[in-house]
Amino acid sequence: MAHAALKTVKVPPNSASLEEARKRTIDFFKLACRSLPSVMEIYNLDDVVTVSQLRSTISAEIRKNAHITNPKVIDLLLFKATEELSNVVTHSKQRHHLIGQYVVGSGLIQDTGAKDQGISDFLKQFYTSNYF
Amino acid sequence: MGFLLHALRRSKPLLRSHLPHPPSNALRWISSSAALHGPASSLDPAPVDPPPKAPVGGARVHIPNPEDAIEVFVDGYPVKIPKGMTVLQACELAGVDIPRFCYHSRLSIAGNCRMCLVEVEKSPKPVASCAMPALPGMKIKTNTPVAKKAREGVMEFLLMNHPLDCPICDQGGECDLQDQSMAFGADRGRFTEMKRSVVDKNLGPLVKTVMTRCIQCTRCVRFATEIAGVQDLGILGRGSGEEIGTYVEKLMTSELSGNVIDICPVGALTSKPFAFKARNWELKGTETIDVTDAVGSNIRIDSRGPEVMRIVPRLNEDINEEWISDKTRFCYDGLKRQRLNDPMIRGPDGRFKAVTWRDALAVVAEVAHQVKREEIVGISGKLSDAESMMALKDFLNKMGSDNVACEGNGVSPNADLRPNYLLNTNIAGLENADAFLLVGTQPRVEAPMVNARIRKTVRATQAKVAYIGPPTDFNYDHQHLGTGPSTLLEIAEGRHAFCSTLKSAKNPVIIVGAGIFEREDKDAILSVVETIAKLNNVVRSDWNGLNVLLLNAAQAAALDLGLVSNPNESIQSAKFLYLMGADDVNLEKLPDDAFVVYQGHHGDKSVYRANVILPSSAFSEKEGTYENTEGCSQWTVPAVPTVGDARDDWKIIRALSEVAGFCLPYDTLTGVRARIKTVAPNLLNVDDREPSTVTLDMKPSCGQQMSPEPFRAAVENFYMTDSISRASKIMAQCSSILSKK
Repeated sequence: MAHAALKTVKVPPNSASLEEARKRTIDFFKLACRSLPSVMEIYNLDDVVTVSQLRSTISAEIRKNAHITNPKVIDLLLFKATEELSNVVTHSKQRHHLIGQYVVGSGLIQDTGAKDQGISDFLKQFYTSNYF
Repeated sequence: MGFLLHALRRSKPLLRSHLPHPPSNALRWISSSAALHGPASSLDPAPVDPPPKAPVGGARVHIPNPEDAIEVFVDGYPVKIPKGMTVLQACELAGVDIPRFCYHSRLSIAGNCRMCLVEVEKSPKPVASCAMPALPGMKIKTNTPVAKKAREGVMEFLLMNHPLDCPICDQGGECDLQDQSMAFGADRGRFTEMKRSVVDKNLGPLVKTVMTRCIQCTRCVRFATEIAGVQDLGILGRGSGEEIGTYVEKLMTSELSGNVIDICPVGALTSKPFAFKARNWELKGTETIDVTDAVGSNIRIDSRGPEVMRIVPRLNEDINEEWISDKTRFCYDGLKRQRLNDPMIRGPDGRFKAVTWRDALAVVAEVAHQVKREEIVGISGKLSDAESMMALKDFLNKMGSDNVACEGNGVSPNADLRPNYLLNTNIAGLENADAFLLVGTQPRVEAPMVNARIRKTVRATQAKVAYIGPPTDFNYDHQHLGTGPSTLLEIAEGRHAFCSTLKSAKNPVIIVGAGIFEREDKDAILSVVETIAKLNNVVRSDWNGLNVLLLNAAQAAALDLGLVSNPNESIQSAKFLYLMGADDVNLEKLPDDAFVVYQGHHGDKSVYRANVILPSSAFSEKEGTYENTEGCSQWTVPAVPTVGDARDDWKIIRALSEVAGFCLPYDTLTGVRARIKTVAPNLLNVDDREPSTVTLDMKPSCGQQMSPEPFRAAVENFYMTDSISRASKIMAQCSSILSKK
């Protein structure tokens, strides 16, 4: 069970190469995907989101850092991601946290990325806030 | 606090003399002021003679005739002053701040508080410095035991009947009595009887009174009679029965009544809406300007977090001196009510639905593309800043429409010559005038600060004031010549009795109200006024007395930027109407299928007709340029954050222009201002008045006929003129109680 697997999370030694870091990232993604059914159950998310949507949110979060090539930085980000995941599956969060962060939050803005193509920085900032 | 610091600084050498020598560093004077911890305040042996001080507040005095100057000695230092100055003014020039309660530089001298007692050599008693003229060679001593004893005695008498309720007093923290009793008072009182108590007076919805706290300085009485020009306040009774009051149960009906709150040295007169809302040390002050009328009074917005708590005046001798009108001071609660906080689209059921900016702008852009170019109309409102009007004009011009106007400027205003729409004499310059002709304007409600200047002039020099317009109530002597253009014509033809006054006047002033702009025959009226000006030498190389008094903060900048189309005509055929805060345009003739976009900060009149609402920020939340009626441009400074999802006006138009595919070339405020520089560079000379250089002769003659219809009042209700003051509860109370006929 994902839950049990996460209880034994330890800080692994640094990745030796980019290749190893990449493998670890994919492992983390698989671990996260495997825990999704229990997350859906714990937080009662069936009526707001589907497993596949959450999966794409996770992959979007990972792809946000696709440009990073330093294995040490990737390790650190993975560590933070693992911690976040363990917080989620141990029910340390509440339902609105998940909805806010992964259902209507950044997840949606990622979806509309296609719409914002070709607009100026001014308009992008305008849509987020008055202060820039 | 100034007094406290002075006292501390002065007391230090004294204290030091009592300390054991050499002074130990462990014993320090406890003070919260950082200035006292500087190197000068360490316990080094003090210099025996401190150098002469700079004048209080950096004041400078100009002495026109050198022979009129006299020399007096203040604390041993010689100071040159013009003849006729009082001892207190001489001390101020010498850099010595004399404590005072009743003395106020803009009011007449009463000399009844006795706090300003100083010692004058060869005088048997201490003299009240505010009322004593300085004489040549006078040796004034402000820091002797006699003067100190006198002040201490006065303080003890004042505190005898003053309640000890500072913890619940709204003046607490900015109270002259509090500060001065800390600085000059004794550490104990000897009075053991009961304190007197006085019944509170009802002065209306703005001024709260706690008359027991009153120290009978009579500043408020003098302010009401001299500056505000209402004989409402007075002093009743003698001795310990002395009271300030309205003789009969009566409210204070003046548009300047809020200023008595500022001049009251104690907490007897405080702001009713501000009562128990905040303490002054919790507030953040932002120095900005007012937009409720065209004067652009300098104000300070005191805010706590995201909330505007109060508005107080700031000194600007050229514009508002140190007063502001009640509307300026108390309209702030309108900033919290009726605000638009989300972009909204009216659905098919006629109800507004909140949407995202993305959707709202997309809808507006789509509609804008579907209409013909001539059917696009933009109108800016009373409170618009120059930046947003520039953006609106550029955007509509890019779309191919030239129908951009500013409300209140009437049909096709003549904006080619700047002197045609400015107060050319300028507000401070009105003090030099000796005859006024007010044409269709009632400055008392249109611009109370301009009215205060006229009143000041009338009081000082007995200048003659004549008025043409509907019957109304002035607070100075005036002649009511007539109600309509026929009287104007009589003066122009020299048939009227007032002509001789105008002709013999050295500096005559004609003020035309901006209410005339709304008339069909405004060009004819203005040309008749110009004829009068020419006949009576009103415009000369050294004096320009031909003035237009504008009504709204946006008007002058709109004319400078060329927002000069004819809204009455274009609205009839409009299919796409962009209202940028315009609430007072007449939308009756607008076709039913027209699409109306309302961009503004308040859900006011025009929202009822709007199809899309774009929320923008109010003057207290944005940085913007406003030009006042005399042509002086000033900036507002954001004091509080915007409400909800609102955006600055120019940013909304810039974003919309991009969504609509007519992208404006500026992304920053600096960019917009660079664009303004190419259109109206005078708007960038902030806090400076750009005088106009063109003369009247350049104006083409006008063939229009004047209609005999009498002038109408431009402002119906002084307290509710724009979207902010109409949303204000305090202003609503004022108009229901004070404007009662």
